[in-house]
Amino acid sequence: MELQIEIKRVIRIATRTGRIMLQNGAETYRVEDTVKRMVESRVISSKKFETVNVFVIPTGIILSADYENETTTVLERVYPEGIDLECIDRANEFSRKFTNGIMSLEQAESALEELSNPPKFSKVIRILASGMGGGFFIFLFGGTLTEFFLAYIASAATILCMDGLASKHLNFFIKNIIGGFAASLLGVILVQFTRWIGFEANLNIVIIGPLMTLVPGVSLTNGIRDLISGELLAGSAKIMEALFIAIALAFGVGMVLQFSLKLI
Amino acid sequence: MVYISQAIYSFLSVVGFSVLFNLPRKLIFAASISGMFGWLLYYFFQSFSTNFIVPAFVGSIVVGLIGEVLAAVKKHPATIFTIPGIIPFVPGYGIYYTMLHIVEKDFDLALTTGAESLFIAISIACGIVLATSFVRIIKPNIEKLLR
Repeated sequence: MELQIEIKRVIRIATRTGRIMLQNGAETYRVEDTVKRMVESRVISSKKFETVNVFVIPTGIILSADYENETTTVLERVYPEGIDLECIDRANEFSRKFTNGIMSLEQAESALEELSNPPKFSKVIRILASGMGGGFFIFLFGGTLTEFFLAYIASAATILCMDGLASKHLNFFIKNIIGGFAASLLGVILVQFTRWIGFEANLNIVIIGPLMTLVPGVSLTNGIRDLISGELLAGSAKIMEALFIAIALAFGVGMVLQFSLKLI
Repeated sequence: MVYISQAIYSFLSVVGFSVLFNLPRKLIFAASISGMFGWLLYYFFQSFSTNFIVPAFVGSIVVGLIGEVLAAVKKHPATIFTIPGIIPFVPGYGIYYTMLHIVEKDFDLALTTGAESLFIAISIACGIVLATSFVRIIKPNIEKLLR
């Protein structure tokens, strides 16, 4: 009985680590590799697990481990949250320590608790930086200084809006419709305002700044990367996610542009 | 002159996105440098090549290689450096224009830009996978030399 409990604890720790990594945008092969190594490294009453099979898709982890002809299978459901590189880095370090066998199970469990809430940048810095990300991006595609300021304000406000929505537990489609709507509405209003003052600004270039912070370019690229490395199911799931985020954004942007094109 | 300003803009843009992706503070500078070199190469190839795949491919190979080197030096996973690094040429621009053309009912242009952004994404992914595999092949040899 003791043995059973210990086996379950090891498997739980491994799948939780995998979940944290997957939730925050790690690649499929890395999660599979990490979870497998974590389980295989552990010695329980001087014996190791015989075979460990891990199957990872963006929305779940299935792990099946054999120990003395007894198979334990665990399913961990995962809800993707976005990209958080600090989390991936910490989980990676944690798994390395765990596989080296320095940690006891109690230590590992308490370390895992800390993993799930890593330090974040303060809200002000985050908002200012998102403005920077979206704003300077404009220059790379031939924007002017006026357009930079507009894109800066619009990007910062869009991220403020998306952060506000994060605690509301909306589904990702609705959230992205609102994001696209906010980004393009801000763009249209700001461009109209500057025209009214007497400056010229291109609406398309201004909107691309805030949208760049929402557009699923990274998940599209990561999905294709998974496909190339042979993770066919995970890759196509990620590409589908990217496609639907793009459709949601198009919904939001389209709503605003349809009206604004008529009004202007 | 153009290259200096482009370098500064891409660097600052990647810094912004790094904060958005909650990159560990100590690594932001390194990741932004890799993004900057990737973008400079992208820009250089874009200026004389009419092909839209080659610049993204070369840029992402550079980002992937720098990411692998940084990963070995700083002892962090390589993804941490490559995800912010590819941001400047990730086809967000193309995805936006695809959406815009669909909204304007211009399906021919939508298909063109959509296919273009898909192929850019494929070439970026290929570039990074190529860099990673290359490093994986030569790494044992380098370690043998250093020993």
